[in-house]
Amino acid sequence: MKRTQNTRNKPGGKRKKKREIKEQSQCRFCRAKTKYVDYKDLDVLEKLLTHRGKIFSRKRSGNCAGCQRKVQLAIKRARFIGLLPFTS
Amino acid sequence: METETKRLYEALFLVDTGQAAADWDGTCEHIKKILDRGEAEILSMRKWDERPLAYIIDGKKRGTYILVYFNAPSANIGAMERDVQLSENITRVLILRADHITQEDMDSDTPSMAAEKSVAAAQAKAAEAAAAKAAEAEAKAAEAKEVESPPVEEAAVEADDAVDENAEEA
Repeated sequence: MKRTQNTRNKPGGKRKKKREIKEQSQCRFCRAKTKYVDYKDLDVLEKLLTHRGKIFSRKRSGNCAGCQRKVQLAIKRARFIGLLPFTS
Repeated sequence: METETKRLYEALFLVDTGQAAADWDGTCEHIKKILDRGEAEILSMRKWDERPLAYIIDGKKRGTYILVYFNAPSANIGAMERDVQLSENITRVLILRADHITQEDMDSDTPSMAAEKSVAAAQAKAAEAAAAKAAEAEAKAAEAKEVESPPVEEAAVEADDAVDENAEEA
């Protein structure tokens, strides 16, 4: 079996920079210690919707399970009263 | 004997913009009447915002939202919602328990108030800038005038100095 040469430590070889991704340990609402997600707070809720008006998944929004449920309820309330679209 | 406990509720009423603009007091009175029928004690009632609706409701594209905080027996909330559904003046209502709401939250700025404040601040800033510009222009004009015609006293002193110098040289 051929062994691939390691060019990383060669003087002429390019060094690949390691991407430093800062992983958040808590979701945005937990960090802000939000106990209640207000359905009238449209600036916050609009960030958690696609341009078609669908709710972003937990994976996409980074919310914890509890906060995602609060957000879901707030968005549904806002939709009922005509502040947010069901779909667009 | 049962004792009815009153709880704090938050209600957001959606009414037609045209009707609210034409008869604001009448609309408020109508809402108060519905709440009074449910033995509600109103703590605060104000216009929350006037905005385009996210989707057409009852053929209307714009709506005015009225935010009300009130204490009422929980048994009467259903009756209030039914009254709103039967009412022709109110399009929709959302009534929620508001135990977590503090007095500060009730008094906080609504979007319409915030917009009004920002407009007033922008106007004040523009007026201030215009006044500063005018003052600067005035100062510049005065300076230019001074340069064009130097004061008579200074000219006389300069002339005297020249005469003295000539005399010394002689």
